Amino acid sequence: MGEVEVQALREINIVILKGDFVAIMGSSGSGKSTMINLVGCLDLPTRGTIYLDNKDISKLNESELAQIRGRKIGFIFQQFNLIQNLTALGNVTLPLEFQEYSPEEARQIAMRLLTAVGLGERMYHLPMQLSGGQQQRVAIARALSNNPDVILADEPTGNLDSKAGSDVINLLEDLWKKNGKTVIVVTHDAQLAQRARRMIQLKDGQIVGKA
Amino acid sequence: MRLQKCFELALNILIHSKLRSWLTIIGIVIGVGAIVSIVSIGEGAQASVQERLGGLGADIITVSPGFQRASNGGFRVLGGGGGRGAAGGDGERSATPAKSAKNITQKDLQVIRPIANVLFINGIVSGKAKMTSLAKTASVSIQGVDTFAWKNIVNTELETGRYLNPGDVNVIVIGNRIAKSVFKQQLVLNWMVTIKDKPFKIVGILKQSGAVEEDNAIFMSITAARQILDKENDNFDSITIKVSNPDYVDKIINETDTKLMLSRHVTDKTKDFTVTSPKAIQERIVEATQTFTLFLGAIAAVSLIVGAVGIANTMFTAVLEKTKEIGIMKAIGAKNIDIMLIFLFNSGLVGLVGGLLGVIAGSAISLALPNLLSGFSVPGGKIITVLPPYLLISALALSLLIGMIAGVIPAYRASKLKPVDALRYE
Ligand SMILES: Nc1ncnc2c1ncn2[C@@H]1O[C@H](COP(=O)(O)OP(=O)(O)OP(=O)(O)O)[C@@H](O)[C@H]1O
Ligand SMILES: [Mg+2]
Repeated sequence: MGEVEVQALREINIVILKGDFVAIMGSSGSGKSTMINLVGCLDLPTRGTIYLDNKDISKLNESELAQIRGRKIGFIFQQFNLIQNLTALGNVTLPLEFQEYSPEEARQIAMRLLTAVGLGERMYHLPMQLSGGQQQRVAIARALSNNPDVILADEPTGNLDSKAGSDVINLLEDLWKKNGKTVIVVTHDAQLAQRARRMIQLKDGQIVGKA
Repeated sequence: MRLQKCFELALNILIHSKLRSWLTIIGIVIGVGAIVSIVSIGEGAQASVQERLGGLGADIITVSPGFQRASNGGFRVLGGGGGRGAAGGDGERSATPAKSAKNITQKDLQVIRPIANVLFINGIVSGKAKMTSLAKTASVSIQGVDTFAWKNIVNTELETGRYLNPGDVNVIVIGNRIAKSVFKQQLVLNWMVTIKDKPFKIVGILKQSGAVEEDNAIFMSITAARQILDKENDNFDSITIKVSNPDYVDKIINETDTKLMLSRHVTDKTKDFTVTSPKAIQERIVEATQTFTLFLGAIAAVSLIVGAVGIANTMFTAVLEKTKEIGIMKAIGAKNIDIMLIFLFNSGLVGLVGGLLGVIAGSAISLALPNLLSGFSVPGGKIITVLPPYLLISALALSLLIGMIAGVIPAYRASKLKPVDALRYE
């Protein structure tokens, strides 16, 4: 068989400004997830550089990357990716606790965020006991817990029906509009993409369109 | 704070882990259980030696006829020779002195007497005789002693009455068990009993002694005992020596040994007597018990190793199952060290749970064993077991440690997972 090198991304040259709301679109396998993971310090590029806050993150070590992920970035995933054995509250406090917040402080912040996403009544439920839309809102609360500058969402509405999906879209839009977060969303959802301020179209790892 | 959180997450994983992963801790349970019960038997054996010989003063040396070459000498003395005065004399359980062995005589006494720091020498004859009280008869063990020396050597206090005095005739001092348990009607002070048709008055009853032999003996003057037991004048069945300081015991044992060999014209090969001390006997038995315990413990340790491999196996599986969650935790800011600690604590906890079950099982066995084996006799009487707290605590600590060691590699592997790869895992 042998290893075939796949170039998931190439010749990408893009600047995303602080406070922007960007949608990344493209067909399956076009490199959307790869791109967002690079920005989010989950992956490192084989070549090239990525600057976050004027800092080249492509050269950082794992511990420094973990620190950036924990403090500056909030992730939202298509599969929600909650820890199944922790309650909604436990999931939202977790990033805070990895950042050495006191348990009490973490609890306060998490409760406030869960209430803000409309889950004040569901804090002690396990992910299993929540609907998909509710789980994604827990995930959003978790992404916000460390008050990051950048929110990265990889197909956040991909597993939701249109009602739950639009709730999530509204939440993301609020984060950008009201809280001044930089929001980058990977999506197939035209409705979501239209709400963004900018759109990037990917094809075979290259940018084929910006709007 | 971070440590505490990692511990909580580890506990959370443990609580939600599958039954399958629990099966692999059986090795730890068996290993720890075996070690706990084995050590408790070993400790029990030592405690029982202590009980039998501990009361016999650290400043006592005994000389008895017969000599057993090396090897299991330790256990021989437990049978009947260890007790003061009982040494080698009476009977069925004691080491068989070589048939040709010469008795101990007045001459031997004279040889020992001038040795420096020897305070008292008690020449003893001993044997069994029938004793009658209120028409009931029992076979008892008799010790004929040098009344003056015995009074000064005896370690056991009087419950009532007095010790023997020089010039006493037809009076006896009896051990505690003789007074309390041999006859239905307990024996009391000034009671008259008949021993081999001769009347004796009880003038003293000893308190319960540290040595079983003493509790079961009747003490009388050596002259009376020689008549009753039909022993020749001049001959002794054993000698007890009290020295001025326990520190001199070893030195005086050697000196006595050398002098007696010279005066009895024997060499190392033809030696026909034994000089020893309760302390030395005790040390030998303790040593033997420890070797034995260590040997069995080593076997149990094999089970622990198997258990450790089991835990390692569980942990590899757990890490695999948790790959996605590891990715998630890394995505929300967990550092490698956090992931490492979570799995290390988790495997430590698995070990600890195994250890806890093992300690419970081992303690149960150790508590039940004396009853299960009550009919089964070992040197030193019945089996007793002891469960010292240090044993339980160190067994738990050991299993925690084993768990953590077994978890090191899986935990390291977990911590090194790349976030993207881990997140993609289904
Ligand atoms: N771990 C990997 N090993 C090899 N190739 C990979 C790996 N991850 C991604 N790729 C390849 O990189 C390319 C881009 O993948 P990516 O996941 O970024 O696509 P995507 O745009 O997110 O697709 P989708 O919409 O299906 O999620 C694809 O061709 C994919 O096959
Ligand atoms: Mg994707």
